[in-house]
Amino acid sequence: MAFSAALRDAAKATAIAFGLFVVMVGLRTDVSPTGALFLRTRWTELAMVCALVFAGRLAIGLWVTPRFLTNAGGSLAAPLAKAGAFFGMGLLVVAVVLPAIPGIGRYELDLAILVLTYVMLGWGLNIVVGLAGLLDLGYVAFYAVGAYSYALLAQYFGLSFWVCLPLAGILAAFWGILLGFPVLRLRGDYLAIVTLAFGEIIRIVLLNWVDLTGGPNGISGIPRPTFFGLPFNMSGDPGTFAGFFGLEPSPTHRVVFLYYLILCLALLTNWVTIRIRRQPIGRAWEALREDEVACRALGINVTNTKLTAFALGAMFGGFAGAFFATRQAFISPESFTFIESAIILAIVVLGGLGSQVGVAVAAIVMIGGFELFRDLDEWRMLVFGAAMVIIMVLRPRGLVGSRTPTVALGQKRSIGSDYVSEGRG
Amino acid sequence: MSTTLVPDILSVEELTMRFGGLLAVDRVSFEVPRGTITALIGPNGAGKTTVFNCITGFYRPTGGAVRLTTHEGREVILNTLKDHNIARAGVARTFQNIRLFAGMTALENLLIAQHGPLHRATGFGIGALLGISGYKAAEAAAIERAAEWLRAIGLIARADDPAGSLPYGDQRRLEIARAMCTGPSLLCLDEPAAGLNPRESDDLARLLLSIRDGTATSAAPTSILLIEHDMGIVMRISDHVVVLDHGKKIAEGPPAAIRQDPHVIAAYLGEAEQE
Repeated sequence: MAFSAALRDAAKATAIAFGLFVVMVGLRTDVSPTGALFLRTRWTELAMVCALVFAGRLAIGLWVTPRFLTNAGGSLAAPLAKAGAFFGMGLLVVAVVLPAIPGIGRYELDLAILVLTYVMLGWGLNIVVGLAGLLDLGYVAFYAVGAYSYALLAQYFGLSFWVCLPLAGILAAFWGILLGFPVLRLRGDYLAIVTLAFGEIIRIVLLNWVDLTGGPNGISGIPRPTFFGLPFNMSGDPGTFAGFFGLEPSPTHRVVFLYYLILCLALLTNWVTIRIRRQPIGRAWEALREDEVACRALGINVTNTKLTAFALGAMFGGFAGAFFATRQAFISPESFTFIESAIILAIVVLGGLGSQVGVAVAAIVMIGGFELFRDLDEWRMLVFGAAMVIIMVLRPRGLVGSRTPTVALGQKRSIGSDYVSEGRG
Repeated sequence: MSTTLVPDILSVEELTMRFGGLLAVDRVSFEVPRGTITALIGPNGAGKTTVFNCITGFYRPTGGAVRLTTHEGREVILNTLKDHNIARAGVARTFQNIRLFAGMTALENLLIAQHGPLHRATGFGIGALLGISGYKAAEAAAIERAAEWLRAIGLIARADDPAGSLPYGDQRRLEIARAMCTGPSLLCLDEPAAGLNPRESDDLARLLLSIRDGTATSAAPTSILLIEHDMGIVMRISDHVVVLDHGKKIAEGPPAAIRQDPHVIAAYLGEAEQE
């Protein structure tokens, strides 16, 4: 598209945006201190919105549309994958410097921690659902096992967070294997139902085993994490984090620490997944998703392969659970309901099965977006649902539906979503 | 080709398979002589695929025994093994309806076939995750072997294309190459020529003969057991033919003799005269 045409197109879009937003953004009725309504004008915001629309539309006209036109015929996957790699690096840089960005306060960091927790859970479940193609509707059970492992080990044995973190992962993986043994001979819908039941069983056991878990009252007073032995508190003693490093004691220190902790855990999940995908076991998972019968004919032990995927996914769920417990300092079965499993699964499906960047974006959009629309009250579920429907209509295989080969003789070319199978459990 | 000194690669003894009241295979016995192409033929519903599934472990036979003598001379009773262990013991198979990993590249398909040795080389995943094992060398060898097979089937230029995007005939050949990458003693093919045009059939026949003789790649000569409806191919390439009808073996022998066998003609064309 020529520059003038793009300019005209952008001007048109801006005019439409102005028409729409002049009443929606530009004018606002507020309650004055006397209780009367008065009209407030917000011309700066309106101008910003219009400028954004203009810039965005111009960019689409100049760069995106021509590329779409020249690439008509399905080879769109390659530039998208390249863009995805750059985009992923950009996201990572933003994530690393986030606490230092001015204007990022306690609320934003807390939200970022929440989003990263879901990114990690999404990446964990992505191993099971996205790579191995096993539909797991009870993933939150492993999250619960991790959280309760840390809470109970800390409560009864006084173990520290850094000892409990690996233990929580191991215990969750152990439960994953325990569940996997009888269940993994089932396929598809049947597997989904049984994993769903497993998720509920764990929650109900936690709810009813009052002696051990406190039942519906949950467990409170879970120890906060320490900076390798240095606790975070406001006293400023040399034995505390602030005192040791000679900093002004601030409640933000702990939040920033938690933020970097979950960032590291999430990146660990990502690193392990990316590395394992290029290995025989990861390739076997994907082969299993593509065709289980063919795998058996090639001498792959299907049960063991599924179990490793299940156990590894569960382990990362357990890590995330232990983190959740130490961040909240209080857990109860309320936090581990089916809706959590559904949200994590929605993140994986919306992001694109098997795609790391896609899952991260989906988690940011779903969890962050959900917070962003908090002002809409009950309407936000509607916005949320509509957004999901739109994504699934436009991109039925999720945001990133293509697949990058794990190995190539020449250049790695990403594989369009038409060929990649979703797996039937 | 087989001598009395070399044991047959596969011997099927009194194989019986019953599905509820249906007797699909009734005490069938035959041998696959080493170094041959043996064809299993018969009209539709004769029980060919059932025999196949019993040999490759997808069904567990109701009775009888299946004995494999591998390249190394090791004897394995197949009917007691689970399917993936049968594949590891040295029986590779393809499917009537192609079962490639469509979303993975041709090269990846051939690497998955080498999963067993590769997985061991990684120290079962843990060693390679930490980067402390000899996995790199093992993977390079596996890729070299895969490339060798891709050259043998003429698909080296499409190594990095998804298997699902290949033409039908190429997919058939790729599936055979994938089975060969497991390093089998016996290659079992279920209707490899189905849906191929005459030129592709000719290519396939040449490929199978070169696999039998070990000239396709550096892999050892491999005996082949195949089910086929295309009599042209069967008569041209097979050294030994076994004919099934209604779950029973009705004839066995070299192709020239089978062509003249009255029982076989009757099974395919109907009885000449009713008595």
